Amino acid sequence: MGRIVFAIATALVAPACLGSTGSELVTFEASAAGVPDVVAGRPFVNGRGYVVTLERAWLRVGAVFLSRTAPVSGGQTRECYASGGYVGEVLSGLDVDLLSSAPQRFAELGRGTRDRARSCEVWLTGDRVDAENDKTVILDAKGTAIRGGEVIPFEAKLTIGKNRVPQNDDPTRPGATPLCSLRIVSPIACDVAPDTTGALRLSIDARNVFANVEFADLPPAEGVRKFLDGSEDQPSLNVFSGMRAAGGTYAVTWIR
Amino acid sequence: MISWITSVARTALAQDARAQEHPNHNEHPYPAPNPDADPQSEEGPDSVGADEKNPATVVVHGRAQAVSRGASDFNVRVGELANVPRANASDLLKLAPGILLTNAAGEGHAEQVFLRGFDAREGQDIEFSLGGMPINDAGNLHGNGYADLHFIIPELVESIRVLEGPFDPRQGNYAVAGSAQYELGLDRRGLTGKYSVGNFGSHRTLLLWGPNGANRHTLGGAELYTTDGFGTNRAAKRGTAMMQYEGAIEGGVFRILGTAYGTHFSSAGVLRADDVDRGRVDFFGTNDNRQGGDASRFSMSFDVEKRFSDMLYLGQVFITKRSMRLRENFTGFLLDTQHPEQTPHAQRGDLLDLNVDALTMGLRGAARYKTRWFKLPQEFEVGVLARGDTTDGSQYRSSTALDVPYRRETDLGADLGNVGLYADATVKLLPWLGLRGGVREDIFFYNVLDRCASKSVRSPSPNNPPGDASCLSQSDFGQYREPVGRVSTASSVTLPRGSLIVGPFRGFQMNISAGKGARSIDPNYINQDRAQPFAELAAYEGGVQYAGGIDDISLVARSIFFSTHVDRDLIFSEVAGRNLLSTGTSRSGWVGTLRATGTWFDEQASVTLVRSTFDDTGLLVPYVPDVVVRNDNSVHKDLVSFRGSPVRGSLGTGITYVGRRPLPYGQRSDTIFTLDAQASARWSAFELTVSSSNVFDARYKWSEYNYTSDFRGQAQPTLVPARHFSAGPPRIVMFTFGINLGGT
Repeated sequence: MGRIVFAIATALVAPACLGSTGSELVTFEASAAGVPDVVAGRPFVNGRGYVVTLERAWLRVGAVFLSRTAPVSGGQTRECYASGGYVGEVLSGLDVDLLSSAPQRFAELGRGTRDRARSCEVWLTGDRVDAENDKTVILDAKGTAIRGGEVIPFEAKLTIGKNRVPQNDDPTRPGATPLCSLRIVSPIACDVAPDTTGALRLSIDARNVFANVEFADLPPAEGVRKFLDGSEDQPSLNVFSGMRAAGGTYAVTWIR
Repeated sequence: MISWITSVARTALAQDARAQEHPNHNEHPYPAPNPDADPQSEEGPDSVGADEKNPATVVVHGRAQAVSRGASDFNVRVGELANVPRANASDLLKLAPGILLTNAAGEGHAEQVFLRGFDAREGQDIEFSLGGMPINDAGNLHGNGYADLHFIIPELVESIRVLEGPFDPRQGNYAVAGSAQYELGLDRRGLTGKYSVGNFGSHRTLLLWGPNGANRHTLGGAELYTTDGFGTNRAAKRGTAMMQYEGAIEGGVFRILGTAYGTHFSSAGVLRADDVDRGRVDFFGTNDNRQGGDASRFSMSFDVEKRFSDMLYLGQVFITKRSMRLRENFTGFLLDTQHPEQTPHAQRGDLLDLNVDALTMGLRGAARYKTRWFKLPQEFEVGVLARGDTTDGSQYRSSTALDVPYRRETDLGADLGNVGLYADATVKLLPWLGLRGGVREDIFFYNVLDRCASKSVRSPSPNNPPGDASCLSQSDFGQYREPVGRVSTASSVTLPRGSLIVGPFRGFQMNISAGKGARSIDPNYINQDRAQPFAELAAYEGGVQYAGGIDDISLVARSIFFSTHVDRDLIFSEVAGRNLLSTGTSRSGWVGTLRATGTWFDEQASVTLVRSTFDDTGLLVPYVPDVVVRNDNSVHKDLVSFRGSPVRGSLGTGITYVGRRPLPYGQRSDTIFTLDAQASARWSAFELTVSSSNVFDARYKWSEYNYTSDFRGQAQPTLVPARHFSAGPPRIVMFTFGINLGGT
């Protein structure tokens, strides 16, 4: 009799307590690194014909996000970020040495849902992504650029704040270029699914940061010529564009 | 033939006799539910015999009782189980099986009710009424059908009928998971004053009165309550008044009911579990101390039941004025993203500031005809519930820095109407076989004015850019338009319901029931002339119940298997701060209950197992508990005699166990296990009570959610779902001193 009662009770209780609402919350390790071909002292040629040799190159990554939204081309208006749609995040910021291809771990684990991400975002910020001004140096680089016998030692310490906001002449769209949109690199095409096994790897190619920089246009100076931290001269604009180039500078993969 | 007048008179006599001859009415064994109430008899369960030969000598009081619809029809008289601590009238719902109550938004916010696999939120899926007067708020912006029961003084509740499922044609709008009908009564007559004091700065003053000579449905009560609240930002103040007069007319009774209620409360809201784990915020802390709200309710009702020849006439009119303000922040700083037309800004904060005002008027009417066919009693009834609601609802977002609204999200004015007709029959086919049921047809009317109908515009006018305005006066390409829009529609639904009752055989009775229910849809979702402004439910169940006894112990046991399907369910959205329409869901499960009542004890236990899934994916419906166990127990006895009067002691306990609830993203909540207890001693006119909720001071999470929020506990916004919870109350101890004057 007892067995029958137990069997009935089990048959009743088990279906009620089984099942899932779908997906799963997971944590995962995450790291960032430069690419193998870019190391200190090894030159590369940029799109303007300069042979660039980097001595130092650090990039401040404030966060990495994974989205299930597939990247789309075009210049459509988008919000910096919106609730829903994200399947992974790494929130502990990291100063990434772009001249080292060794994994540099983010201090805290990333969090995510067990869903596939189709696009990724890199947030280049030291403060809140929508902070009005952020004095954090996002790119800290030093090196030399040589073209036609001209040697240009350079140094870049770039921030992303009001100095990057373009002039807006459209009264109907005063908020068309919010600071957060300047700090978020998106969409980076990716195909990863957060899991408890493996780790997220962000690779950053420093060559692409300087790919279109006309070093001769840097302000003249004796010794090291410094990038202006603004948005009015070609070198600063183009190095900033290189930092924000979702297509060539960044790659997000899942390492098993 | 027993005359109707006599029948009504017998009920009245029973009640008056009970009140006058047995001042401590609760000493009587708990009356078993009336699973097979003879439709020829309208007397209540506590009727006693009367002199049928001389009905004119009795005072006529009392009213007809509803006929049971099967094992899921829980007509529960509170009785001695009043000794179990109840924080409010919502807690009385736990006397029915399978009910879990939670509250994430403060003392003045309605409890969230889970019933038989439904997340009925704050009443959206349960039709609530008090003395026949509807409680659900039609068109409430926080939730269509929102039902705040805090205006009911729990000590004045005599009984509650919870019908789990839509099996009675009288059940109207919102009766998706079921219905709950509160009835007032006061056994302890005279003037009663009680003062309670407890931890967390809690004080409660309660006055009750019930004149001797009047039946127990003639009563009054008033309550003042203040508390600092446990933890942070949970203070509350409340004032409540209720009066009810039940008088006799020839061949019937009439009743006047009035209620008044107001509250102001703070709320801690929800917390991120990772913030608590890191020590950033205390378990009983808050992320936004502006949360809370206000609520008021003033209502009146008049009803009459009168016998005319072979027909019983029932009529009721009611009017209710409601207001409610809620300030909640579920997401912190997440939703205020920059739009191109707006002045550049950072996240300003997601605090919702919701306000609702409503005026409800309506009527109930019915006529019941009884006859005998084939020597068996038969009963037929037709009736109507009609109500009209004028509502205003607005919802703003307020900035954290300035605490001023920066965006108007919703601003609706609505005139809503509902007329529901029903025909019900109780047919005895054989002495042991009966069919109870009929059909209901509802029509819903909507006339909705959206005062914020235009929120975005393509290519705005460069000469008059919309800027930060929420409700725009231009349409695409800058053309002028008024910011308002009006939609109206109407739709009807037919809802058959019935139960086949077999038995009783030696105390056992079986039933098979089926029915359809409906819930009108939030005015937000109404489109011009689009039909189907409701969600439909189909429910089926098979039950068996036993009513009997051993010696002087009365036993009632039930076993019920059930299955339901809703075509458009409501699922909580933390972004909207309320439930939003979802896809269809199905649920099936089992309920078992047992109530045993003796001369010195009263015990009720129930177990509910249910599995709720989405139709399209087969995945579990989140938040709905799949295992709920509840036990209510009271023991009571005269302990000693002192100066010729007995000292009566009583001890009541309530135990709740809720299994790990499914949460979004494959998660499960923690289990909940709490014990509430109350001990009291009464001598002569005096009474001392000590009560404690959560006796073991268990630290538990009352509500748990998985969603995205950003309370700035991290350097950057967190955009991946995370665990959130509202803290369950710790141990709360209240000491109460009461005195009764002129009582019997």
